[in-house]
Amino acid sequence: MDFFDSIIYGFQVTFQPINFLFCGAGVLVGTLVGVLPGIGPAGAMALLLPATFKFSSTSTIILLAGIYYGVQYGGSTTSILVKIPGEASSVMTCIDGHQMARQGRAGPALGIAAWGSFIAGTIANIGLMLVAIPLAHAALKLGPPEYFALMCTGLIIVTYLAQGSVLKAIMMGLVGIILGSIGLDLISGFPRFTFGINELTDGVGIVPLVMGLFGISEILENLEGSLEREVFKTRIKNLWPSLKDWMEAKWAIVRGSVIGFLLGVLPGGGAVIATFVAYAVEKKVSKDPEKFGKGAIEGVAGPESANNAAAGSSLIPLLSLGIPPNPIMAIFFSALIIHGIQPGPLLIRQHPDLFWGLVASLYLGNGLLLILNLPLIGIWIKVLEIPYKILFPMILLFCIIGVYSMNNLSFDLYVMLFFGVVGWVMRKFGYEGAPLILAFVLGPMLENALRQSLLISQGSFLIFFTRPISAVALGFAFLLLLTTLLPHFKKRRQQYERFKE
Amino acid sequence: MKTLDQTSSLFWLLVSILVFAESLRIGIGTFQNPGMGFMTLGASGILGILSLVLFLQAFLRKEHGRHKPLFAGTLWRRVLFVVLVLTVYARVMPILGYLITTFVLMTLLFGILEKKRMGCVSVYALGATLFTYLAFSKWLNCQFPQGLFGF
Repeated sequence: MDFFDSIIYGFQVTFQPINFLFCGAGVLVGTLVGVLPGIGPAGAMALLLPATFKFSSTSTIILLAGIYYGVQYGGSTTSILVKIPGEASSVMTCIDGHQMARQGRAGPALGIAAWGSFIAGTIANIGLMLVAIPLAHAALKLGPPEYFALMCTGLIIVTYLAQGSVLKAIMMGLVGIILGSIGLDLISGFPRFTFGINELTDGVGIVPLVMGLFGISEILENLEGSLEREVFKTRIKNLWPSLKDWMEAKWAIVRGSVIGFLLGVLPGGGAVIATFVAYAVEKKVSKDPEKFGKGAIEGVAGPESANNAAAGSSLIPLLSLGIPPNPIMAIFFSALIIHGIQPGPLLIRQHPDLFWGLVASLYLGNGLLLILNLPLIGIWIKVLEIPYKILFPMILLFCIIGVYSMNNLSFDLYVMLFFGVVGWVMRKFGYEGAPLILAFVLGPMLENALRQSLLISQGSFLIFFTRPISAVALGFAFLLLLTTLLPHFKKRRQQYERFKE
Repeated sequence: MKTLDQTSSLFWLLVSILVFAESLRIGIGTFQNPGMGFMTLGASGILGILSLVLFLQAFLRKEHGRHKPLFAGTLWRRVLFVVLVLTVYARVMPILGYLITTFVLMTLLFGILEKKRMGCVSVYALGATLFTYLAFSKWLNCQFPQGLFGF
């Protein structure tokens, strides 16, 4: 099949009734999850995963992808109208989006967020088609040492880009690797770290872990404090941005799309980082940086474009290398494994329906988001007004159902609760869950690649430094670690010099 | 934050020691043929070292002002109640079945913040229970425990 035949084939797959339905349901659920602070894309995907078991892998991935980029869109509504980011990737939208709403320009803010998301999503999708296939071909030449090095680099980047302490993020990555090793050893077939608990023989489930760390812990944190939130009351009008708005925002959308695409592809990157960088760039290149924070439309267009572009491009390393670059992609990875599909360089060749169906669904989903969500903005505002005292029991119940229906085991509920409490305490102590989740999924692959590499090299660690790709990747990771340590050493040296004086 | 970091670093140090010991017990193999404790030994070793670094960092850090207790000014009793209720729910659901236990759970959860209008709370709880039962059990074919009473 040539390129255009493949695209047409993809649309044929996507327009099958069940896939079309899943695409629409995914973007709607995603928008809902994005609008509601509390559950998050990882939790929502994990929640719906058990319900997809009787459907095909293609339908499942289309649904999950819809949720992911729907969340990016929905988060902007909450940011603009309530000044509470529905998702972490919408934090930057709060700054200028809410100011625009306060100035009576909620309509153009929501409109430009939607259009920016649509344009960026489409650009990322084109990039996905153009990059994923050559990268998958190149990846066929990679062996265990290269995979080990790439995964190490991905983990280091995730910890490097952590919002809090890098040291704590690395520690969480190590805890994730240890948790990922619970269960049967891949090579010897013997159980380890199961402490005699039969249910742990298959390892800790990704769904209870994600639900606990992200869903339950968030609810527990919210329950501790005041549950009141104020929705900014305004009449939403002029959802179509004016010509002046377009002129001001057009380059912000382009820059946001490019930044989002590039940061989404990088291991460890993702929508959150992309929005921060996009906002910083917009402020930097603006002729009038003082207007940022006071309702600049570029401050909405840039980050909103960046998060959607990153959502699309982060599929590239997963689909072509089989390496999830961020925790959300780790859920995708688990979903593919559950459906019997091994993500990696052979995925596109062996499952063209899945790859091209997904690509076409991204176009369709982006369009649906635009068509459905702008007219539905009133409904999302109503959803925002649902009191948390009604919302949180429902979210808890959905978490319970999602976790229980994976294996029909009460044990999974205990695991979810355990990690919920752990996640809640972790938040208090300043630890992040994202590196843990990514390392948890990458851990078994990382271990496999390490052990295979050492078997090939007969115990020599030099194998990682004599092969160019792994040497470059590990060198890059080492440099990153060094750049985090250098300021610390510099500070200590200055303190020492002052003390000497 | 200083005290919090010191406490958490000691906790992770303890975890790393336990995992390190268990890795040695299950066998680390050799470099030529790594065993199933090889990777975890390395991970726990690094975790232990980083825990010590975190502890020392926190120990040497100067902090001005008094440390605020972790749960001061928070409604932690509410959190404890929810965790306890969910634990009991996980234990009882396979015995009494989905419908009964979920109705009780939802009544308690809705009731946390709406103590005055118990009638409304019961209606919400019943609605949530029946809706999720129909949506997940009947339409999406998820299997819920039927319990002693067969429903």
